[in-house]
Amino acid sequence: MTKDRVQTILAVGIIVAFAALVGITYANSHPHPADSQQYLARALEETGASNRVAGIYLNYRLFDTLLEVLVFSVAVLGVRHYLQQSKGMSLPTLSESEVVQTAVSFLTPLALLLCSFFAIFGHISPGGGFAGGVIAASGLLYVAIAHGMKAIETRLNPWRLALAEKAILLSLLIFLLVPVAVGRIPLSDLLPKGTPGQLLSGGSILIYNILIAMKVFIGAWLVIAAFAQHRGEL
Amino acid sequence: MIARWILLALLPIVAGISLAQSRRLSAIIGMGLFSFVLAAVYLLMHAPDVAITEATIGAALVTAIYVLAIRRTGRLTVVADEVPRLIAREGDHITGLEYEILDGFARETGLDLSIQFVPLRRVPWLIAHREADIGAGGIIPLEEAEGALLPTPRHLKTGVYTFPARSKPREVPATVPDYEGYFSELLTHGRSGTLSTVVTSLDLARVLALGRAGALLQGLDRIDGEYGYAFLIAKRRAKLRRDYADYLARLSTSGQLDDMIKRHFS
Repeated sequence: MTKDRVQTILAVGIIVAFAALVGITYANSHPHPADSQQYLARALEETGASNRVAGIYLNYRLFDTLLEVLVFSVAVLGVRHYLQQSKGMSLPTLSESEVVQTAVSFLTPLALLLCSFFAIFGHISPGGGFAGGVIAASGLLYVAIAHGMKAIETRLNPWRLALAEKAILLSLLIFLLVPVAVGRIPLSDLLPKGTPGQLLSGGSILIYNILIAMKVFIGAWLVIAAFAQHRGEL
Repeated sequence: MIARWILLALLPIVAGISLAQSRRLSAIIGMGLFSFVLAAVYLLMHAPDVAITEATIGAALVTAIYVLAIRRTGRLTVVADEVPRLIAREGDHITGLEYEILDGFARETGLDLSIQFVPLRRVPWLIAHREADIGAGGIIPLEEAEGALLPTPRHLKTGVYTFPARSKPREVPATVPDYEGYFSELLTHGRSGTLSTVVTSLDLARVLALGRAGALLQGLDRIDGEYGYAFLIAKRRAKLRRDYADYLARLSTSGQLDDMIKRHFS
């Protein structure tokens, strides 16, 4: 078995386990549609997150968000799996003008900074892990446009990145299962709510945002890199 | 409230403008602009989270992906050997008959013209290996098919000349610019009188240019036969070849081609 096949089987295993966990939790917690009316009113005190949107989608409706993360993982897995079967084209790097290269050297650090800001402060101000991850992936894409795909691949090994993506998913799974050890249902929030508005508040939302940002960043980049290497082959 | 309505009214306008663009890069930028306006609408509707997502995905990521996708398809990459009056650099821009034809063709098809000067012998290889779309620079196609490449219809008649084994070296005028590739090679040998060691026959445009640049070519002999300059396009690029042939036919029937030839070779 090749390394890639082992990784694919591993990833499918993690995703199935994840989906089962989310499904079982949903079945046991029975969020009632009527509750949603109360979400906005109670979000601040119950979740500790001053960004109520983050409080809702990473606390009350965490299973929704996690399923979204899963759908994204399946998409990344599918793209990589099916594109691996077709032969990639190694196209020579197109040279870009100095204007583009200089602009990229300003934009990419800014994109990475914004990604960190959105992920770390997602529970206090607008943003969150999804937007942060997409911004970081765009930043890397700008580098690819200015300096070519090869310039990135020599520094970021795609195989290791794919492994890192699965490791993040696995750590998210383990983190969600921790409440089971203390007799609570999985996905329940054990961390302190804190004072709304402080960096350390909102319970686990900070951790979810950071993990989701990393996952979306790596996943989006892997999909872009796979398509860029196989253009014209689908 | 008014700002929101203005922005909402802007959306179909921006969408229409980006749809009407013939240049692909402009259309993509229009699409990015659409996303930005939409993000502003969301922001004014007190949904900053949605606005951020719209801006990051619609304006940043998708725009960048489209740019990456059109880098090859949105560009008409021409590899050419430099031949004065056909396609050559003059100061900081490119000029010549072939350049003018290609530039017009690229404009009409909404592509960005990108020209790279390479030695003549590299031109067929680059086209055959998908690194360029069109080969140019004083190419005289032979009657028999050239493997994976097909010539386009001729855009200019020319003659081919042989010359005696040795020509005399000559003083070089100081005003001659530096050329790259095949022509610079010809020029070096033309100036030192050893041209016959690298070629046995030459086409009219190069003979004229060499003459102007100071090479002494005495006793030239015109080879019998009908010759003409054409471009090279890969066999598999049937659509590009057809589009180009249509474009050239239109140029020629409208008389524009003759005007261009007169302008460059009067």
